[in-house]
Amino acid sequence: MMDLDPTEIFRQEAAELLETLETVLLDLGQRPGDGDLVDAAFRALHTIKGSGAMFGFDRVAAFTHDFETAFDLIRKGRIVADHEIVTVSLSAKDYIRTLIEDPDSTDAIIGEAIVAELHRLVSGLGSGGAGAEAHEPEAAAPPAEASPEEAGWAIGIAFNPDILRNGTNPLGLLDELRDLGPCEVVADLGAVPELAALDPEHCFIRWTVRLHAPCPREAVEDVFMFVSDEMTLTIAPLGEAAPDAAEAPMPAAQAAAISAPPARKTPAAKTPVPAKPAAGEAPAAERPAPDKAEHNRRSDDKGSTVRVQAERLDELMDRVGELVIAQARLSQLAHVSNDLAIKAIAEEVERLASGLRDTTMGVRMVPMGTLFARFRRLVHDLSRDLSKPVEFVTVGEDTEMDKTMIERLADPLVHLIRNAIDHGIENAEARAAAGKPATGRIELSARYVGAQVLVSVQDDGGGLDTARIRAKAEENGLIQPGAALSEHEIHQFLFHPGFSTARTISALSGRGVGMDVVKRTIEAMRGSIDLTTVPGLGSSVTLRLPLTLAIIDGLLIRVGEGRYIIPLSAVEECLELTPADENRSRGRSFLSVRGELVPFLRLRDQFDAAGQPDPHQKVIIISTGEMRVGLVADQIIGSHQTVIKSLSKLHADVTMFSGATILGDGSAALILDVAQLVGLGQGRAETDKTMEAA
Amino acid sequence: MTDAATLGRPAAAGPVPHQPIQALMIAIGQEIFAIETAMVREIIDPVPLTRVAGAKAHLPGLINVRGNIIPLADLHERFGMPAGQTTPDTRIVVIEVEIDEDPVTLGIIADKVHEVSEVSRANAQQTPRIGMNWRPEYISFITKWNDEFIIVPNLSAILV
Amino acid sequence: MANILTVDDSPSVRQMIKLVLGPAGHQVSEAADGSEGLGKARGQRYDLVITDLNMPVMNGLEMIRGMRALPSFTGVPIVFLTTESDDAVKQEAKAAGATGWITKPFKPEQLLAVVAKLVR
Repeated sequence: MMDLDPTEIFRQEAAELLETLETVLLDLGQRPGDGDLVDAAFRALHTIKGSGAMFGFDRVAAFTHDFETAFDLIRKGRIVADHEIVTVSLSAKDYIRTLIEDPDSTDAIIGEAIVAELHRLVSGLGSGGAGAEAHEPEAAAPPAEASPEEAGWAIGIAFNPDILRNGTNPLGLLDELRDLGPCEVVADLGAVPELAALDPEHCFIRWTVRLHAPCPREAVEDVFMFVSDEMTLTIAPLGEAAPDAAEAPMPAAQAAAISAPPARKTPAAKTPVPAKPAAGEAPAAERPAPDKAEHNRRSDDKGSTVRVQAERLDELMDRVGELVIAQARLSQLAHVSNDLAIKAIAEEVERLASGLRDTTMGVRMVPMGTLFARFRRLVHDLSRDLSKPVEFVTVGEDTEMDKTMIERLADPLVHLIRNAIDHGIENAEARAAAGKPATGRIELSARYVGAQVLVSVQDDGGGLDTARIRAKAEENGLIQPGAALSEHEIHQFLFHPGFSTARTISALSGRGVGMDVVKRTIEAMRGSIDLTTVPGLGSSVTLRLPLTLAIIDGLLIRVGEGRYIIPLSAVEECLELTPADENRSRGRSFLSVRGELVPFLRLRDQFDAAGQPDPHQKVIIISTGEMRVGLVADQIIGSHQTVIKSLSKLHADVTMFSGATILGDGSAALILDVAQLVGLGQGRAETDKTMEAA
Repeated sequence: MTDAATLGRPAAAGPVPHQPIQALMIAIGQEIFAIETAMVREIIDPVPLTRVAGAKAHLPGLINVRGNIIPLADLHERFGMPAGQTTPDTRIVVIEVEIDEDPVTLGIIADKVHEVSEVSRANAQQTPRIGMNWRPEYISFITKWNDEFIIVPNLSAILV
Repeated sequence: MANILTVDDSPSVRQMIKLVLGPAGHQVSEAADGSEGLGKARGQRYDLVITDLNMPVMNGLEMIRGMRALPSFTGVPIVFLTTESDDAVKQEAKAAGATGWITKPFKPEQLLAVVAKLVR
């Protein structure tokens, strides 16, 4: 249930509005003349101010008011929002956020300084900025008159004939007068036309009221506050000659013909005033043609959405996961059963469970654009702090990923982007000397490759300085001087804990996220990270991630007594290990696959399987991009789709497996960690090679 | 070491405070261990074990307990005892303990489950004998129950 | 005991109005923008409409005009919320067909008073 605490609702609402405001401001920085953006900013401020005041956030309301005033000037076209205004506005937006979240930590001085700066920028360019300061007090009441001796007022009331159009209820107003005190009401029908010409939606009745109450004049005027300029109202103290309402000049508004009034006497007060809608055409000349208001939608791509609490989604996912497991067991039972009816139902349930699972996964998928948008502000601020103009380009914002993964990507991506701007992009002189454009370029992109998502951060900076990395690695004792290492291998040292040469950036204090933590975070998501660089031209960090952490498509294999799952995304092909292959390999760990040598691992050995191997061993070739390894197993059972259960903390040291899953018969199968096994296989192959060479 | 401050769930696998607490007496090998009932989630009959290659000897594999995959701990190895044989008395005690501030659920093989009784540090005994392979940090303290010496284990040290 | 429609893009304002008028015995319905409000108005008769002016999709003025064009809406009081005592805004709103206004921020008593005034 949504929290019914209005303050909490305001906070959530304000958070969203502030986010929108930031995006709008950043866009405005790039398109200063865009009126729609200014309107959007103004609307957001307006709402925050109004709601803020309503819920006691007075400081927020007051500060936002000044902010809004400035934007009103921009809105009225008197000044154009330039980069400076945008920057100050962003600070103002941050200040508002702090006022809402942690007001005690703010200093009023900051707010005042921001407002002063804003005014300076705004009034320096505009026409003084006084125009929008529409802070007139409510219509000043006329000086209170001393209550007359005979306490009360003689009131003459003559409305504009079309007063009813506004939903005003004259009888209600008379009742309000009666609330003040006893009244004598006399209706004057002098202006009411003949029945034939009578338009029920117009009011031609006038009244004279004698109110016996010692109330001030304002009390009477208040009754008519909404209609004061659509009527003629005369108020005189009782005891003076009461003005005759009937003689008051008829307010000129309506061109309807008024014929000579018939002399009709009707009782005062309850004259039937048309409150029921008159069937037929609308008589009022001013009634606007039914606007194309309904069709005037702004192209705000507002599909209807529902806000759901994150825990609910997780719960849903868990339930669906359990359902999938139970359904797998049902399918297995049905498989061995002879009952056709059960088989049919099991199939149906499988279809439904699969559909439900797909839909639920879809619910959790969120476009990466939501993440990318946050970085715009980061790049803007970093670029400003480091005095390096940077263009931030995003590609593939529509690429979707499981929402939990997107959240976990945020910190690593922040770190990568900071690195790119701080270390990657050179300063102005260096860029000029290299003949590069003054503005650096950071590209953040996301795209699908098979069943994975590739997210990359690319910069057009100076590239990685391999020599410097190597020197530092040698300094730290990580490499033997003189050891032969490829460039790629040298770059991997950047992922060593404590290796980074990060200078702390003041604008965004580091959260202790080094490249090693980035790597671990990505690998914890069953992903991989890779660095490529071209000296002088730039570097690129690429993250490879599964679409979701929750469910896996796997190949189920048997090794000895145990069963294991290999992520299908890593499987390239399956072969049989023929006796000829066994002979050819002659104890070494290499296979020849279509002329190419592929190292292989006997899983029976890796997993210490008991018993005798199956006569025809199978080889599953897996790969992680560039490197391939063959895994030798007793049997390939088939493909299997299931929910992943992570391994317990107690088994964190077991690197060969990345998780476990429950099979249809209730037993557990371990999921192989492809990267680890590939690494092992490659390592084994290297050892063999060196042994051979020896 | 600081006293366990968490009450209710999951019990910190640390030293037992001085007030008497309820504990489940289980037999592992020839010894009897006291497991705080606050950490016991359930007691089940043995279920098939899925071996985890490369895991430490005292955490040989995984079991499926009502859809949850949890590690199975065999403490025989930790205390230098020969591996236990499965008998009709064998049970798995599913417990939830706090390890490095995270709740961890696991099962412990018990050769026999006795009963729930009170233990208190107030009755701590001088240990008359300690097995050759026993590390002192595995043991919180030793006390008496039914005229027998029983061990109150320090699970967080044993398991990790 | 009135059937009231509150139209505002701010959920906190709508909530507030509901919390004030509900216990006073009124039935409060909500709409998040002018278009939604107009839609509801077509489907059902209300005794009072309280609306903001600044809203996305369809703003308050357009909605008021649209409502006044509905035969069923003759005589229904429409109140708009305004944060300024900007006369121009008030005139515009009244020209569009609004009956009265409430200045934000308002206290619950003020809201109740205006409702009592217009719904008789």
